Amino acid sequence: MITPRIPHKWGMVVDIDRCTGCQACVIACQAENNIPINTEDRYIQRRAIEWIRIERYWEGVEEAVKTGDPSLVKARFIPVLCQHCENAPCEPVCPVYATYHNNEGMNVQVYNRCIGTRYCANNCPYQVRFFNFFQPVWPESLYNQLNPHVTVRTRGIMEKCTFCIQRLRKVERKEVKEQKRISDAEFDSASGMYGPACVRACPTDTLVFGDLNDPNGRVAKMAKDERGYQMFDRLGTEPNVIYLKKVDLHASESAHE
Amino acid sequence: MELTRRQLLKLSGLGLGGVLYAACTFDLKENNVESPTLIPEDLVNGIDTWYATLCRECGAAEGLIVRVMEGRAKKVEGNPAYPLNAGKHGARCEAGLQALYHPDRLAGPIKRGENARGNGKFEAATWTEGLDAFTGALKQQQSNAASVVIVTGSLRGPSANLVQQFTAGYGARHMVFESVEQTVLGEAIKRVYGDVPLPHFDIANAQYILSFGADFLGSWLNPVAYGRQYGEFRQGANRKRGVLVQVEPRFSTTAASADEWVPVNPGTEGLLALSIAYVIANERLGDANGLTALGGTAALQAYAPGVVATATGASVEKIQRIAHEFAVAKPGLALGGGSAAAHTNGVFNLSAIYALNTLVGNTGKAGGVIMNPRAPAGVEAVAQAAPMAQWQKLVDDMNSGRVQALIVRGADPLYGLPAKLGFEAALAKVPLVVSFSGLMDDTAMFADWVLPEHTGFEDWGADVPLPGPGYQVVGVQQPVVREFFESQRTNDRGTRGFNDVLLTVAEGVGGKIAQAVPWKTNRDLVMDSARKLFALNRGSLKETDFNAFWIKLLANGGWWDQNAKASAPAASAFKLPAQAQNPEFQTSADTPLFLMPFESSLGDGRAAHLPWMQAAPDPVTTATWRTWVEINLGLAREKGIEEGDVVRVTSQFGEIEVLAVPHPAIPRNVVAVPMGGGHRNYGRYAQDRGANVNAILGPATDKDTGAFAWAATKVRIEKIGRRIQLPKMEGTVPLPEQLEHQQAILFTKPKS
Repeated sequence: MITPRIPHKWGMVVDIDRCTGCQACVIACQAENNIPINTEDRYIQRRAIEWIRIERYWEGVEEAVKTGDPSLVKARFIPVLCQHCENAPCEPVCPVYATYHNNEGMNVQVYNRCIGTRYCANNCPYQVRFFNFFQPVWPESLYNQLNPHVTVRTRGIMEKCTFCIQRLRKVERKEVKEQKRISDAEFDSASGMYGPACVRACPTDTLVFGDLNDPNGRVAKMAKDERGYQMFDRLGTEPNVIYLKKVDLHASESAHE
Repeated sequence: MELTRRQLLKLSGLGLGGVLYAACTFDLKENNVESPTLIPEDLVNGIDTWYATLCRECGAAEGLIVRVMEGRAKKVEGNPAYPLNAGKHGARCEAGLQALYHPDRLAGPIKRGENARGNGKFEAATWTEGLDAFTGALKQQQSNAASVVIVTGSLRGPSANLVQQFTAGYGARHMVFESVEQTVLGEAIKRVYGDVPLPHFDIANAQYILSFGADFLGSWLNPVAYGRQYGEFRQGANRKRGVLVQVEPRFSTTAASADEWVPVNPGTEGLLALSIAYVIANERLGDANGLTALGGTAALQAYAPGVVATATGASVEKIQRIAHEFAVAKPGLALGGGSAAAHTNGVFNLSAIYALNTLVGNTGKAGGVIMNPRAPAGVEAVAQAAPMAQWQKLVDDMNSGRVQALIVRGADPLYGLPAKLGFEAALAKVPLVVSFSGLMDDTAMFADWVLPEHTGFEDWGADVPLPGPGYQVVGVQQPVVREFFESQRTNDRGTRGFNDVLLTVAEGVGGKIAQAVPWKTNRDLVMDSARKLFALNRGSLKETDFNAFWIKLLANGGWWDQNAKASAPAASAFKLPAQAQNPEFQTSADTPLFLMPFESSLGDGRAAHLPWMQAAPDPVTTATWRTWVEINLGLAREKGIEEGDVVRVTSQFGEIEVLAVPHPAIPRNVVAVPMGGGHRNYGRYAQDRGANVNAILGPATDKDTGAFAWAATKVRIEKIGRRIQLPKMEGTVPLPEQLEHQQAILFTKPKS
């Protein structure tokens, strides 16, 4: 018997106060999603692909140089990935409907529709869409590691974070099979195998994943935290990634440099 | 003889078949037609299976589960059941997959043959030849057994047991090589707490962490387990947010995450700790019993903040404030290690730092220093890293011909020892060098035989994490995939486990050595340890039948007993020193800058062959693939140095050329260079890439232990006029914040 799927609205909470910038999420993502090796040339050409990246912002740089006291400098880390916006600026500009919004609140990319106009990347305020400027290749033996549940994107198309949709499909199959909704607790890495690769890796639990439609779920509760905010909320993109503010002993509203 | 047409056809048919068969040899097992129900499930299309094992990429030994599909490992995740990392894993664990499928792995033994040593030319050989050479050499040297030296990476549990019994049975010398050793930490812990294993630092429950040089979120001991605790420390449910203060000359990952970074003068960490102790003791802020145990206030009088402020570089006000905060916020936890230990006064520094814990009375309490029990009998063996003084002696012995055979496994001393020590020249004097490296590393290049060993995902093992989580834990490692070079076995090639080779060789040599190691295979060795755990009949796994125990042990990834805790240590005789020990530096007149080497994503260099680790941006600079030097931004501006300028870093021992990274958060008198670059070999991703900082380090040692003081060299820098663009993540995309005129990161004050 096939029953209609219970609608989900996948979302992520990112507690910046826990993030140490360790890169575990970055490498876990690359392993899960067959991202080509970011060689030295790719970095120099600024064409490295990181579906999730850690941005590091400096504070107090000029003051430190002026006074000669380096301890005035602060480094701030923030993991940035596709925000899966409800009003995604990347979607309406695609001439071939390669990027669209699915009924689970996710912004998805259909690789075999994509013709590589790069309009979407141009229009993304979060800079999280990446274009394959090259045909991805690995040395023969490293092909053994590639995840068979994820396609290798060819040259000329756009790619980005999918919230590890291949894992979510597994969740949905399990729900249909067991005729019950899988709770957020199972995305918690201590008890399940279903959360996105970055969330599963994150040592500090900065990243938490789950169903925003599940009012008792961990993510829905955390999203209502008083520290919660959406990045660049003035743009009205309504991301499904909710950040929790960094706690600072001397918090001022000063901008970074 | 006459051939009929029929006979000719018959013969040619047979011959042709023979030729075809020889040309397309395939693994014999592929001849067997199997029923799909008998195929192991990890070989069935579309089905993934997860096996528990241990990470062998660094010394932390995280518990992992590995996703296997169609006989190939696809993904690594943390083992949710394993106590230390509890389902989490770091970037290096993930990259273990690339070690397994590295394109430059050796598919079988190779020998130098008639080629000159070190010229990189080798001939393919078989295991029979390789083992004969190894066994033959051991037989030949039996009367002079001490001339055989076995160098390994750090070993614990059954592997340590095997190597120790093997070397004892034969009479050889065993030395453990680690570039960044924990000898000083072990000695300081011993002085402050008595003869105990490294304790568990309860970061998750601490209220205030004062860390001296210990980059516990980046590289120190077990960053994944500490990271997990750090998340709790910051935002755990039902607790006040903890405060982290990092005292370190360099702006490490931990300093970047800290609430306050105190850039102290290199080597004065202990002095600062004692000054903090002075304030706590004089103002009676700490634990009275702790103070008495440490010898009272008398010894501390030399360390008043006003006296030591200039030497340490921290102001009087800052020392007093931190002392107050640390003593008042209960529980406060003091950690020390990393560069604070890597000075000539390393033990002085660390014992002063750990004594702060006694002073605030946090020993054995939640949020404090919790003692670890010894491992259960049967897996308790630990092989300690040999301090630098012993390596100096080894080099002398090699030079004077007292070393007849050098066996190197899981270590690359040629790369990791300071070049000044002269290990390379000494290698030429050793008649037989055997390497077990699976990839041509720098030492293997000078070997006579390279007998490639399995990677961690292909071999058996067991390990006792050090430090443990406060109770007994034994991790078990199993082969999660078939050996990658399994098909080479028919040609007597492929890879083998190091322990298996030792056992085979012991049998071949016979006599005392064969009796010393009573196991047939490495699997037997691990099972033997498992039997001892089975006999304990307690902890996470209790079974009436050993086979059931063994299967569940492998499925769980280990055994642990949360009730097997250590009691508080007996009062130690440690007294705070009345006389400060000052650091000494390897310097000449024109080397004004302190050089801080540090562990980057490449660790001490062991992870340099992994493309994911080379490409993983350094958290603070976001630099990748190259070796760089962090220079104070103000100083760089004055000297006209910009990012990517090639800079020569010169010490009295040598020079390296690295890319400049002007850095706002490094003191003017310090420059920092990551370890791990500059391999001469080690596969396509590491070879001739970056520079090896060990080439310019002086062989200074800690006064008390003889451990390598790798932060005790001073240097000068100069621009050489070339510029290479620094490959880094920053700038790959325009900073969204600048495009959108809105902040990406928002801040709030802690809840009061």
